[in-house]
Order: sequence, then structure tokens, then C-alpha cells
Amino acid sequence: MFNKILIANRGEIAVRIIRACKELGATTVAVYSDADRKSLHVTLADEAYHIGGSAPSESYLVIDKIIEVAKKSGAEAIHPGFGFLSENEEFAKRCEKEKIVFIGPSAEAIRLMGDKITARKIAQDAKVPLVPGSDGAVTDVEASVVAEKIGYPVMIKASAGGGGKGMRLVRDKEDFESSLRMARSEARSSFGDDSVFVERFVEEPRHVEIQIIADTHGNTLYLFERECSIQRRHQKVIEEAPSPAISAKTRKKMGEVAVNIAKAVSYSGAGTVEFIMDQKENFYFLEMNTRVQVEHPVTEMITGFDIVKWMVRIAEGEKLPFKQKELSINGWAVECRVYAEDPETNFMPSPGMLHYVKAPSGPGIRDDSSIYSGCEITSFYDPMLSKLVVWADSREAAIDKMASALREYVVLGVKTNIGFLIRVMQNDEFRQGKLDTGFIERHQELLGPGEVDIEPAIIAAALALEDVEETQESDKAPQSNWKLLGRKAAVSGGNLV
Amino acid sequence: MTYTFKIQDKVFSVETEIDKEQTIVKINEKEVPVEFEKIDDNLYSVILDGKSLTIGVLKDGKKIQVFMDGDLFIIEAISERDQRKSSQELSGVQEIKSPMPSRVVKILKEIGDDVAADEGIVVVEAMKMESELKSPIEGKVTDISVAEGDAVEADTTLLVVSSE
Repeated sequence: MFNKILIANRGEIAVRIIRACKELGATTVAVYSDADRKSLHVTLADEAYHIGGSAPSESYLVIDKIIEVAKKSGAEAIHPGFGFLSENEEFAKRCEKEKIVFIGPSAEAIRLMGDKITARKIAQDAKVPLVPGSDGAVTDVEASVVAEKIGYPVMIKASAGGGGKGMRLVRDKEDFESSLRMARSEARSSFGDDSVFVERFVEEPRHVEIQIIADTHGNTLYLFERECSIQRRHQKVIEEAPSPAISAKTRKKMGEVAVNIAKAVSYSGAGTVEFIMDQKENFYFLEMNTRVQVEHPVTEMITGFDIVKWMVRIAEGEKLPFKQKELSINGWAVECRVYAEDPETNFMPSPGMLHYVKAPSGPGIRDDSSIYSGCEITSFYDPMLSKLVVWADSREAAIDKMASALREYVVLGVKTNIGFLIRVMQNDEFRQGKLDTGFIERHQELLGPGEVDIEPAIIAAALALEDVEETQESDKAPQSNWKLLGRKAAVSGGNLV
Repeated sequence: MTYTFKIQDKVFSVETEIDKEQTIVKINEKEVPVEFEKIDDNLYSVILDGKSLTIGVLKDGKKIQVFMDGDLFIIEAISERDQRKSSQELSGVQEIKSPMPSRVVKILKEIGDDVAADEGIVVVEAMKMESELKSPIEGKVTDISVAEGDAVEADTTLLVVSSE
């Protein structure tokens, strides 16, 4: 067993990993930036070292600083979590060079899967279905031939693309030429490169992914699927396991192709193969994430498998003691990401001090977070406050449990998406499992509280200003006139006159 | 005690009378029977006509944050003078400020351009996300104090919109 493990991350995932390492008997080392001195991961770790400025580029992304702390503290292994250096080939190589175990796949596997074109090629060789389309960049003539062959609707995408720029959806042949011209021109102005490729447009796509786990002895297993179809700004908000849309037959097929991809790159550790799936259960490879994912808890809840602990054990060389046929799905899990953001203003981040936090609890409720009353959400990092995860024996029961748990969640100080999440849990389409990645765009009515009875809110505000406790106490002790004046001043806008 | 509150652009007059025996609250002169308990500094239990609610309350200067059923409501305690001022502000000059430390990505208007209420006028980026800031009033852009690419602190004035 490793004696000491460094966690090269922050926030809730650092807390999650620290807990797993402690349970395994390892001493933990935290690193922190200027902004994170008061973070929970710093408090919970056995050792903590300052690594630089608040911007990730001055701290969590600086390989030299992380390695220096690992050497200084005598850490034998580094868990990178997700984001930051977790999928950085150079970092994995450097760990190897310094004889520190990188808890994750090999640098080579990170490299192969990090490059989208190489990953696509590997998937193709491993007989994994890809969205039908052109093989890389095409000329104008080739583009229309490909579009004709794969059938409309098609998507024209900039080769150097990202963020939706240089993308055009074409439903009819007549529009193809003009759309191609526009996509090229947008690609040229955005990326300085007008090469484009063409692929079939998947209608009402669902986002389904397979969690895999592989040891260094050649055993690769799939821990079934998660569905992450509720997304905003192309980022996941709600995840569940299993998917409500997948048959046992497709699940097995998808699991097996995911294992094939992992084997093709001699993968070890935890990883996720992401697919896009249409409403007829046709699925296509998107990409492979070579790290632990934000939504890993839903898989843990339905399999009873501690993914983070197994990542550590595998890095030590331990063999997976299970076979695929011994694994099964038990019940249903739902995860909601609680963000400091305002759904009413297109999910604008809402940084600030969390003056008060009260998280829900109860059977089957897990809150993976690093927040506490008095902590600050700075604008340097992702605004995720917590991952609230619930487990129940059916999907309906899990959704009801989530709605109830969310109602218990109190956060004061910044705007959050908790109310929005409650409304999604109550939405008929969501409850029926009619999901796709366009769900939020279609349901703008869920973004604001709508017609609510604000009477109780006004009453609470008035009574809070009155400060009932103080008034009730006033019978016991004489009240200072200054205190009364101060209260009046607060209400009248700071003026005593 | 009598308070004037503004919430979701509506103004309410609230009167409270608290003694040991009972709490009486009048909202816009309508009496509302309420049972009320303070659980801790920020958490209150309110029972209204048998309906039990746990409400989070944070006093933040003149503004009060009220957290109820997952949603945060900002309630403003206002004096009569404030009421007059705020109605003037809504029809007068509005400074558009950055709500957080951010980078100005795009300025969508030029000085002299007309803007409609709720129309996007500047895009800022923070926490890996772009957000569009909107004008609260209809008017003309009379000043632009930043340039695209500028890094700004929270509360920095970015543009000024005037309806006069």
C-alpha cells in the first residue's frame, strides 16, 4: 500500500480522494493556491503545501510545483482528480521519470485518446460505431457527395472547431451549398483555417457513457452506463445510472465496445467512453475520458464499487477480483450538480461568500462537496458547489428522493440552481425519461421560480429584521436604546434621522 | 414595526406585532396568522395556515436574501425616500456594472446606439463561461468605459445607458 499520496486538485474531488486514501490507510498531501488556503481539502488532508497564485496557470497547472511538493513531502503517488493535469500526457510522463506513481492510465493512453482524430481511428479499428461522415477534411465536391451518401440532415463542422463555431446543420440538399460556404467562412474567421468535415446529424441525441475499469493484469470491466442528457452550455447538470433509455442488449453491446477501445490502448485505471445515442438506440463513439469523472458517484451507487479506491489499488498493481458476469446493477442513482449560478440569467456564475450552508442528509443521500458556511466561491474556478447524489430502488423513487433532498438544501450568500433542479425533478418529461441534450432549451419555463407564493418570504424577512429572539429576550434584560436605533437605521437605509 | 419591501418589482407594506403570546403580521393591511420560530442565526421555521416552511434568511445591508424551496429571493427593505429614488433610477441613467471579476469579451453597442430594455449590451467572461449583460432600461448608450479584452473587477462600470 502507498504510505503517502498527493492529491493534485482542489474542491470536492480533492475531498473525495482524500477520504478514499485515508480509508485505505494512506497519509494525504494537499496542494493549494492563494485563493484556496481556507478550502476544505486543505483542512482534511494530513499535510498541505502552498503552490502559488489563484489562477490555475500559477498553481494547479504547474507541473514543476506539484512534483516539487511530492518530492518534498515524500509522496509515492499522485492522484490528479479531474480537470487540471488529469489528462496531461507531460505530467504523467514526468511522474514516471521522477519515480512517482501517477494514479491513472499510461502517458501513452492519455496521448492516444487526447487527440480526437487518433481516438476516432482507434475506435474505428476496434469496430466501434462512429457517426457516419467524411474521413477528415473534404473539398466542396467531396462534401456534397458525402452528404448525399449518408443522408440528410447532416452537420458541417470546422476541422479546427469548438464552441459551436463553424458549425451548420443542413436539413435539405438545396441548402447544402450555401451552408457549406457560410461554415467555411466562419471557420476561416474564427480559426484561420477553413477546412470542414461532414457528418450525419443525430436527432434528439442522448448522451450515454460507459464507465470502465482496468487493472494492469489485462482485466478490463465495464461498470455499466450513465446518462447525462440534461446539459446547459454543453456541460452536464444532471446524471443518472442506469440510463432509462437503454435495453439490456444495447447495454451489453455498448459495454463490450467500450472495453474493446480500452484494450486497444492497453488502458489501466478508471476511464469513460462517451457515446451519443439516438432515440432508436443507435449509438456512436464520441470520445474517451482518461480520468475519474465528475459523475462517477452514480455508478458507485448502483454497483457498490468504490471507483476512487480501486484507482489507487490498481496503481499499486492490485488485480481486480471480479469478473464481468459477477457485476450487476442494483437500483437507481441520480446526481444533481449544485452550481453557484443564476438559471434566470442564462446560468450566469454567481461567485461570493457562502454565508450559510445546510446540506440534506438521510438514507441513500450522498453530498460530495467542499463547501461550508463562511467559505468563499471565487471566480478563479468552476462554480460547482456540490454533487448531490441519491440512491433508491427505482427511478421514480430516486427522483422523488432527489426532489425532497434538494428542498432541504439551504445555501445563502449566492444564487444557486437548486430551485431549477427541483423543477426538473417535477417535470413530466424528465420523470418519463424523455430526455435529450436539448431539454433545457425546450423548457425555459423551469429557469425561474414562476408564480410562487412570496408571502412566507416577506414574513420571514420582516420577522428576521424584527429579530424575534431579541424581542422575546427583551423581557428578561433591558434593551439598549442604541441597539434599537441601529435596527431602525438598518431598515431606513442607514439614516437615523 | 412597519416595513416597506420590494420583491420581484412589487412593493409590499408589512406590519409586525410580536409579543410573547402571538405574532401578527399584516401584509398590505391583510392580517396573516403566522407561527414563527428562529432555528439558528439564518434558519427560520414559518407555519402559515398549517403549512410548514423552513426558510433561510440572510440580512445583507438593506437587502435580505430569503431562500425558500430552492429559490433565492432578494427582498429590499426601502424607505419612502428610497422608493422615490428607485423609480427615478429606472427611468434615468443606469450604470451597467460587471457582477464579478471578469474579462470583457464583446461590447455589443456603440456610444449613441439605442437599446431596448432587456437587450444584451456587453458580454463578459468569468469562471470559464461567457455571460451577456442586459440593459435594465430603454435608452441610449451614453458612455463606454472599457474596451474588449479588458480585465475588470466586480462592480466596475462598463457602460452607461440613459433614457433622458
